[in-house]
Amino acid sequence: MSLALRIDNLPHIARSSVKCVVAVVAMALITNLGPGWLSTIPDWLMFPVSDIVGDSLTWFAREATIGGIAVQEITRGFAGLIDKPIEAAVVVLADGLFKGRGLDVTQSVPPLSWLALGGAAIIVAHRFGGSALALTTSICVAFLVSFGLWQNAMITLSNVLVSVILATLLGLVLGIWSFRSTHVENVTRGIMNVMQTVPIFAYLIPTLLLFGYGPSAALVATVAYALPPMVHNTVLALKSVPAETIECGRMTGCTQRQLLWQVQLPTALGKIAVGLNQSIMMTLNMVIIASMIGAGGLGFDVLKALRKLDIGGGLEAGMGIVALAIILDRTSQAIAKRAAHGKHREPGQWPIWKVVGLWLVIATGIAYIFEPAQAWPKDYVISTAVFWNDLVTWINIEWFDVLDAFRTFALLEVMRPFRDALAAAPWSMMIGLLAIGAYALGGARLAIYCVALALAIVMTGYWGPAMNSLYLILISVTLAVIMGFPVGFWLASRPQLQTAANLTLDTLQTLPTLVYLLPAVMLFRIGDVSAVIAVTLYATAPAIRYAMIGMSQVPVARLEAAQISGCTRWQTLRWIRFPAALPTLLVGVNQTIMMAFSMLIIAALVGTKDLGQEILIALNRSLVGQGIVAGLCVACLALIADALLKAGAARAVTHRHKKED
Amino acid sequence: MNVKKILNSFIAIAMSIGLVAPATSMAAGVPESDKPIKFMTADWTSIGLQAEIMSLILRTSGYNTKLVVADDSGRYPGFEAGDLHVSMETWQTTQLNNLKKSVATGKVLDMGETGLKGVEDWWYPMYMKERCPGLPDWKALKKCGELFATADTAPKGRYVGGPVSWGDHDENLIKALDLPFEVIHPGTDAAMFAELKAAYDRKAPVILWVWEPHWVGSVYDGEFVKFPKFEAGCFDDASWGPNPNMTGDCGKPYGWIKKMAWAGGEKVWPCAYEMIRKYDMSNAQINKMLIEVDLNGRSNEEVATEWLKNNKDIWKPWTTCAG
Amino acid sequence: MANDIPASQDSNDVPMLSCQGIWKVFGTNKSEFERSGGPDMRDQELARRGWTVAVRDASFDVARGEVFVIMGLSGSGKSTVVRCLSRLIEPTNGNILVEGEDLLAANEAQLLDIRRRKMGMVFQHFALLPNRDVLGNVAFPLQVQNIERSKREERAREMISLVGLEGREKFFPDELSGGQQQRVGIARSLASNPAIWFLDEPFSALDPLIRADLQDELLRLQKQLHKTTVFITHDLDEAIKIADRIAIMDQGRIVQIGSPEDLVLNPGSDYVKRFVKNVPRSKVVRVSSILRDATSSDSVGDIVVKANDRLADVAPKIGGSTQSIAIQDDKGVTLGYVDRDKFVRVLAGVV
Repeated sequence: MSLALRIDNLPHIARSSVKCVVAVVAMALITNLGPGWLSTIPDWLMFPVSDIVGDSLTWFAREATIGGIAVQEITRGFAGLIDKPIEAAVVVLADGLFKGRGLDVTQSVPPLSWLALGGAAIIVAHRFGGSALALTTSICVAFLVSFGLWQNAMITLSNVLVSVILATLLGLVLGIWSFRSTHVENVTRGIMNVMQTVPIFAYLIPTLLLFGYGPSAALVATVAYALPPMVHNTVLALKSVPAETIECGRMTGCTQRQLLWQVQLPTALGKIAVGLNQSIMMTLNMVIIASMIGAGGLGFDVLKALRKLDIGGGLEAGMGIVALAIILDRTSQAIAKRAAHGKHREPGQWPIWKVVGLWLVIATGIAYIFEPAQAWPKDYVISTAVFWNDLVTWINIEWFDVLDAFRTFALLEVMRPFRDALAAAPWSMMIGLLAIGAYALGGARLAIYCVALALAIVMTGYWGPAMNSLYLILISVTLAVIMGFPVGFWLASRPQLQTAANLTLDTLQTLPTLVYLLPAVMLFRIGDVSAVIAVTLYATAPAIRYAMIGMSQVPVARLEAAQISGCTRWQTLRWIRFPAALPTLLVGVNQTIMMAFSMLIIAALVGTKDLGQEILIALNRSLVGQGIVAGLCVACLALIADALLKAGAARAVTHRHKKED
Repeated sequence: MNVKKILNSFIAIAMSIGLVAPATSMAAGVPESDKPIKFMTADWTSIGLQAEIMSLILRTSGYNTKLVVADDSGRYPGFEAGDLHVSMETWQTTQLNNLKKSVATGKVLDMGETGLKGVEDWWYPMYMKERCPGLPDWKALKKCGELFATADTAPKGRYVGGPVSWGDHDENLIKALDLPFEVIHPGTDAAMFAELKAAYDRKAPVILWVWEPHWVGSVYDGEFVKFPKFEAGCFDDASWGPNPNMTGDCGKPYGWIKKMAWAGGEKVWPCAYEMIRKYDMSNAQINKMLIEVDLNGRSNEEVATEWLKNNKDIWKPWTTCAG
Repeated sequence: MANDIPASQDSNDVPMLSCQGIWKVFGTNKSEFERSGGPDMRDQELARRGWTVAVRDASFDVARGEVFVIMGLSGSGKSTVVRCLSRLIEPTNGNILVEGEDLLAANEAQLLDIRRRKMGMVFQHFALLPNRDVLGNVAFPLQVQNIERSKREERAREMISLVGLEGREKFFPDELSGGQQQRVGIARSLASNPAIWFLDEPFSALDPLIRADLQDELLRLQKQLHKTTVFITHDLDEAIKIADRIAIMDQGRIVQIGSPEDLVLNPGSDYVKRFVKNVPRSKVVRVSSILRDATSSDSVGDIVVKANDRLADVAPKIGGSTQSIAIQDDKGVTLGYVDRDKFVRVLAGVV
């Protein structure tokens, strides 16, 4: 059906629409007039999957032993072990050391001051990214300090650093292993694909079971979440090392190990850094959720503020996360770029570790003499929270009627009918249509793959909630694409705006969704409309990004050819730009869908009735099996969407080739 | 001096890298173990505040403690496994059966009441009293469904319940008392109160699940609906209450808020467990502190420390076993 | 010039590098190829089995200190040959002897040792490690051998100054021009003082002017170092400028091996003929190639040319003269004479 995207071949569209209608009508007739089990899922198709999974996991976590040692001991021991580096980082960065306990507590050693750490961040930024990056970093540091967010930002940083380091190491190991063996690569790729699409909450439950409550569980879940892009990019990066470079290593007589550590990894560093960057971003995405199960820090500030409906306070703490993300992201990219390409030191320039070390000593000295350099005085903390809170209240009072009319219309005229139609459609009809669509796009293999995934959902008994998720996703993605693509197209022709646009998109993707979820609830009430707004806002970022990239990478020669042939703007768009950008645009739609899926769980926080809600309930009630299985159902939906769109994109490319021939 | 301080910082770094646990000198026998006592905290303020108070008292006596986030209904496996040690709040209103079941396993202890009384039920802002005459009596709601309706629930009234995981008490209540209402479940309590705030600012109709002790009662003017009062028979005896054919035709059980603990801890920290049992507070005391935290934006720790400093005569007697 | 170094072999007469009947066939392996009698198969038979022949029965010797150029167009198999010589690609059949020792019999450890001590290689796209500075790149082969830091850096500095990059030791590859990068590549390939030097199209990725500079640089280095060199190129002019001997490859086969003059004067096939057609002979052919024995009418006159001079070098002297010209070797011994007439005919390509 995504073939209908091709606007330059109307008769073809007409033909495929006719085919679609025929297929739908035929399927509807068969499934509604056929035996009853075609429309309501029969018992013999459902298995107590959740119970089996739940029981076996509980058994594994509580009873099982490996070589005489209880699994529980091993996992708890591990949890205790990974708590240590977090605690150490918190002592150094955020809390310092204390003497005594309870009321008698006194600080014996302060943590590194904001002056020391912030200054060090700026120095590093300046060395690796020049004055532009130093300025960005300074603004972010100043924001964190003056808004009183510094200490909690450092707690978050401690967690993020440890997770990112663990995810990086693990990702490198898995990536290298996959690179060396195709078998391993196939297995890890499969697992990573599923891991990327299972909502984080779903594996929080087994994590809690295995690793207990506290920061270590949050850490394990975060690492699991941030791992896939690292593995994926490591494999890609290692594959991209030029053959000559490897030959050079072999000719100098490198052993396998020398080749890996001294030739392949360093050469691949620039591309591995892309994975690192994504890992950092995903870790920061997890900050809120991690703080829900005990990681503390800025995420907890956001939750605390929102719990007392201090939307402005939540926004400020959320922007703190964004500031941290920007510093970490931009600096790590600059360092990776330098590590990959190198730049010599000017004569007389000190090595960076010397400069930073000296600065830490000086700044610590200053902080000792001058207290505000250690902890920013409370009286000088700035806050804009009142403004934001008043703004929301004002909108609420002045605009509610209009917004409510809009909500009522959207809910009753668009969303409800669509939801009901999906819910009422017989399961066999949906699967039949899926099979036909998949076959048309990618042949029998794709059809079998998609149907198998869909049947897996049927068997778990989560078909109903899955249809509800599908309805939320389809509406949100449609909105995100309708809003995002035109903005992206517009930005593509304005390169001067792209830096600002990228910063805005990064902000949109790292600002915790809860921050705009609550105002949405105030204005649009609890329910699907608020959920759709939150999902749409989050998923618009990749839509804009890919539209921008797709449109800007049209070969200049083709555009010039169009100009010479006297194409109007519209003709250029239609015949030159759009076909060239189509594959990228389809990848963009794919990413938008994946983002939307990853937001389902957050949408559940405002009260939906879909898979996300099932996972949330399972988490709250510690229903291990239900949580994982509902999570896997989300993964099944996402994998189907992914497979269909990739087949569509591949078709869009080959179609063009055929036509060009 | 300066140099010494700098030196100290580096020692701190070295220590934290080497992970040397900070050691403190203790009164003889207490603490029995330096293993941290893990206090549960959760997504409402008072449990965190009380955990902070108890934890501070224990720390002052030399114990090592830790606050761990867990979910209200999801806590039990953690307690039974010994991942969580102490919870300062277990509400009769929603956790009565869960607690009973968990204590029956022998792995969890009922540590007695906190002295606080929990109330949770349907709640409306005062301005709704005129618009729906007869409130707070529940029978008034029978005629007010349309008043509370929104486009998606009409003609039924919109009642904002708790997150789904908090249970289906309200669905049963609506069925049993035949109320013209539909329950809307948010995913989190924050969403519930967001809807309250939005409606309250516009003086629009709203009715939702509220509990006390909670800051909402101090900020917004309103009251609880009076449902048939909970009695033992309501949940299991259909003939009880206004509806002779159904159970659940009563309000939520009002009553105690208890402390609970992991049974294994009794042997590890006997004195600490004694102190926890002795802990006793009142709604008035806690409400005062909640306002400081929720409305004045101070941290639990700060407020708890202040209370401890000013109320030594109250809590010192709890700690007699520590000498 | 390169030809000052005699292409003779050393006393015990073993070539530095000897290559006998090398095949590289993709789609099969050594034992299968041998079992099925691959070396004797016709083209159609090979193709029918789905095998792709990259190198077909290549044989040649490279003498100590000789510059041996393998020339061919893209896809002719020249890069595969040089990779077979270092076993970067495992040959499907044939023998390779390095100083008389069987390279293909070497196990993994021995092979590492041979590559570390006896071979150096320069790559078309430089293959520098982007994360190391110039010093680190040049010292890399020594680091691989676990040579201690001060020693390997000392040697690396020597190599860097040999290729004229003093002062750039701390620069990173991305901060250097293409020509400079390849100088680093050359320095690196020489760091472990290898006996055999492979250069795989080292100058193809460079601008023409820089290419000429580096060719001269190479000749200078070779004059100084006398490495046994295998040089791959697709550029005949470059081959002629540098080579002692040239092997021309076409479709995996070596079609002719000979000195630049041989190829120009006696092309063995139409293919070679088409190649050398446009080569300016005056720049290739030596006077010694066209001398005749002395007759009674000859006498050593005013004009005397050296046997190793190229025709272009002596043309101005010969152009104005009517008599035959004496040709002497370096010691002043007269080897023979050349007539103006013959000289002009060779220049014009009539002979």
